[in-house]
Amino acid sequence: MYLQIGLILLIMVLAYGLAKWKNLSVELCMASSAVAGGLAGAFIKAPPLIQLARHLVEGTFTYLDVMLVFVTATIFIKIITESGGVDYVVRGIITAFFNMRIVALLMLMIVLLIPGALTGAGSVSILTVGAPCAMALGYLGISKKRVAAILFIIAGLSAAAPPVNIWAMIISAGTAIPYVGFEFPLGIPVLILGTFTVLFLGWKRENNMELAEVLSRMPTIPEKMNAWRVALPFMTFFGLIAISRIWPFALPVMGLPLQFSIAALVALLVSPKRINFLVLSRDTVKLLLPLLATMAIVGSLQQIMTVTGVRGLISYTVISMPLIVLYISLIFIIPISEGILTYGGAAIIGIPLVWFLDSIGLHATVAIAGLSLIWPLGDGLPPTALIGRLTVIMSDYKGSYTSFLKATWVPWVLITITGILMILFSAKLSFLVEWGM
Amino acid sequence: MPFITILYYGISIFIAAMLIWNFVKEKHDTQKMALCLIVLIPFLLRIFRIR
Amino acid sequence: MSREWIQKSLLICIVMTITILSGVQFYRHRHFQLPIVAGPGVTKVTMLSDYCQSLKGTPADTRVFFMEGAEEGGKTLIIANTHSNEPAAILAALIFIENAMVDRGSLIVIPQFNNSGSRNTKPGDGYVLFFDIPTEWGSKRFRMGNRNAAPLDQWPDPDVYVHYPDKKLFSFLDARNTNRTWPGRENGLLMEKVTFAAMELMRTEGVDVAIDIHGAETMFPVTNCIVAPKKAMRIATITSMIVNAREGFENHVEPSPKSFRGLSHREIGDFSETMPFLLEAPLPFLDQPTGPKTEALLLDGKDPFLLSLSKQKKLFVPYDSTGWSMEKRVGQHCSVILELMNQFSRRNRERSIIVSQVPKYAEIIERGVGFYYKDPDKADRERIYYN
Repeated sequence: MYLQIGLILLIMVLAYGLAKWKNLSVELCMASSAVAGGLAGAFIKAPPLIQLARHLVEGTFTYLDVMLVFVTATIFIKIITESGGVDYVVRGIITAFFNMRIVALLMLMIVLLIPGALTGAGSVSILTVGAPCAMALGYLGISKKRVAAILFIIAGLSAAAPPVNIWAMIISAGTAIPYVGFEFPLGIPVLILGTFTVLFLGWKRENNMELAEVLSRMPTIPEKMNAWRVALPFMTFFGLIAISRIWPFALPVMGLPLQFSIAALVALLVSPKRINFLVLSRDTVKLLLPLLATMAIVGSLQQIMTVTGVRGLISYTVISMPLIVLYISLIFIIPISEGILTYGGAAIIGIPLVWFLDSIGLHATVAIAGLSLIWPLGDGLPPTALIGRLTVIMSDYKGSYTSFLKATWVPWVLITITGILMILFSAKLSFLVEWGM
Repeated sequence: MPFITILYYGISIFIAAMLIWNFVKEKHDTQKMALCLIVLIPFLLRIFRIR
Repeated sequence: MSREWIQKSLLICIVMTITILSGVQFYRHRHFQLPIVAGPGVTKVTMLSDYCQSLKGTPADTRVFFMEGAEEGGKTLIIANTHSNEPAAILAALIFIENAMVDRGSLIVIPQFNNSGSRNTKPGDGYVLFFDIPTEWGSKRFRMGNRNAAPLDQWPDPDVYVHYPDKKLFSFLDARNTNRTWPGRENGLLMEKVTFAAMELMRTEGVDVAIDIHGAETMFPVTNCIVAPKKAMRIATITSMIVNAREGFENHVEPSPKSFRGLSHREIGDFSETMPFLLEAPLPFLDQPTGPKTEALLLDGKDPFLLSLSKQKKLFVPYDSTGWSMEKRVGQHCSVILELMNQFSRRNRERSIIVSQVPKYAEIIERGVGFYYKDPDKADRERIYYN
């Protein structure tokens, strides 16, 4: 069976390579790989040929709700941008904190951390506050490349931050470990690593502009724009989230897409400028198309990998590794699994891994926290590069994707080392869990 | 069907319409046309309450 | 026709073909009706919504089979398909419904507790849509469902599921998981209504013992076991010892953690007088490191990766080349349920429950699961219930 599945994996890789050679986009390369894998699997009736279309289509549902969040959140932020709200906020931050650089950097870090921490999705941080933060960081004299790097790392940390960490929740659900006690094992490292990241990447001022010069360079703001017009849509969104947490049983479940849609409607109503909503929505969907396609196709790829046994082979290989090799390889396996499977990596590798780590005496909650610090790094890796691609779009970075990724290497290494150390010394760090209980 | 669920079908129909609009508007890039349709699949099956 | 529209038409044709082909299969799966033949012991069949009005007319409503003995006694509730991707549960429940005779007390069986989940598939996990159990009269077809209810029946998911009433946080997916929504709410999410209705059933009928049947991965520490809270621990422990000694299979006991809310073995005990037990049998199909996800793997549980991992001592159950067949799993469930009722009855004579005609572990392994299912074509039409 090993040979059989190995052969299917090889066919999938070859199909990807062939599609790439034919100049197909990353998304279509993945689709080609999924179809080729499915057809190869059909020879051993895994899946039977008649079921192939069903498996391919069923996979596209894996991240349907995430796709809804992306579209509604991006429409929301595009309305704010179009109405001049983003420029207004940036001007405000720069005016108030231009001469208090460290305070400004830390404030921007907190602003970036909140949306992701509340929703468990770093992409939400980028989509809601990414653009204004990127502009503010830029006006503080930080290069676009470093701005993109800060956004990416902090958005990743925001996804890992408590109270909502989707990787930890998926593993907890799959391993029957209660999702409790994660506040300190996640919160403390996120704050320390976040502070280090903004200070390390944002310390150097790359231009010496005066405040007046910076302000003169900033775009003009529509006459009627004011703090309320910007704040109201955000207050609506965060208000709806807050209400759903404070009184969870008093209101029906709304879900993020509807919360973003309501906030978008408010933004549209209070905008001082007339906005063509339909054209804006059409263009937003066009902008997001590669990302949406990635989400749909990665689901299909996952499904084909599972039904053919390729996913099992990968999971088996990871679990079978000697302990030392396993610890070292986690540095690569965890981010790469995220890059290929997004949250799916937590289920495929995370669940059996945590059972195994638990059985050799490590503390499961701290180990999960350590792992889920490393997972978001994978959101910068292809083929999906979920947060990485959104970051590049929102920060308006025009350089190569690799150059942006290279700029993240120091915080990347530090986060990885922290995560691995947390796994290795999880038993000794169990007091962090007890603090939160 | 709860009111909020109906709103979700509304959001899905809206996104599907935007995808179709982009598909129709795309004149040259066959790959983009294909991506529009691939993304459309789960939305269509959800809107028609098949899956 | 311009070149652009030729391309577009071609793409539309390909995508529509794939969509329709898959759509037909999804539709057939969701609307497939499983015939259940009410055996001689079944005295009445009701709906779960009889215990929670807000569940009536929803796709989550499901049938409840009552088997009442001539003599008054205690009551046992068997819940199957809380997770519809753990099929040994419904197979065991149907053996009870189609064969059991109750002499004293009552047996209540809900064969498809998460009815919506049984009509759902699991994206990304490559499940089969159906599986067939061979019988003497052909084969009996079952839907393979999902752990969670269908989004067609409960949508949207929250960004994070806040459990009622403790406000503990769970993954958004758990809002559709009927083993995280206990004790439920009358006007909550649809799955909270399902668990609330079951709580109401137990409170109204005065159920003494509730048994929730599951399956779990071989790499999961809480597998091949009985999970019980403190008040049910004694009966669980003795049952475990007896089935081991008399029937030769291991089935250890796990305590129900107090901090892990939303589970049947926790909340049923805390919110009613009923004594809850949750049964887990190993289910290799659900393990991550397995070969292709085929019907054969689901039914015989044989997998070379798991065999290798077993040799590396990385599984939590004994595992050899014979795998972990459906007969073994269903047989374990039937024997453990019978022994739990027996042990309860020994300690509560006035509330005892006496059930006969249900096969045990060895018989089921010998004759197969399908041996105990009646042919719907030959059964009295009024005794067939579709779910």
